[in-house]
Amino acid sequence: MPENRNISDNMRRMLAEKYELRRNLYKALCRDPELPSDMREQHRNKLSKLPRSSTFTRARNQCIFTDRPRAVYEFFRFSPIVFRELASWGAWTGVKKACW
Amino acid sequence: MSSGRLKSMLASAVIAGVTEARARIFGHILNPTGQKSLHKILRKKLFGDKVAEWYPYDIKKDDKLVMARKEEERLSKLEMLKRRGKGPPKKGQGRRAVKRNK
Repeated sequence: MPENRNISDNMRRMLAEKYELRRNLYKALCRDPELPSDMREQHRNKLSKLPRSSTFTRARNQCIFTDRPRAVYEFFRFSPIVFRELASWGAWTGVKKACW
Repeated sequence: MSSGRLKSMLASAVIAGVTEARARIFGHILNPTGQKSLHKILRKKLFGDKVAEWYPYDIKKDDKLVMARKEEERLSKLEMLKRRGKGPPKKGQGRRAVKRNK
């Protein structure tokens, strides 16, 4: 499995998991209409200080075999190209070429 | 006409009472005025660990021989490129770095 793009995407996922709770908290607190506005600004500041790679939007679902960023099904976690290759070897039990 | 208005008032009062009772029984948070509230953001379930577990563990990492062979292959490939003069440039000499430092 190719390594380089995999590594950076993995790092983003780890960071997103690590900072998730904090991020949610800050975001929620800054939108609270009842808090005084300087506290809201403080929380907004803290939210902006979090590392950029810790958002979930930055992680891209890449194919786990080929690191293809496009055409990756979430159910399988790989692309249809890989599916086709491995299915012709017989790696997926019970998968046959469709014919009806 | 006024009876119609009375009826609608009664109906809205009844509905409000019912929603309040429901919230009290089940522990929901009410927001009858519809103002922005924290509840919506905080009630979302945490899915960070599912996101982090996208890439599966590579079994090849357990086998030291395979890893050693791979590392050797990588180094030999790098050597071949360097012999041809195609290896990676020194730090600060790449295309972008040169443009930036000019």
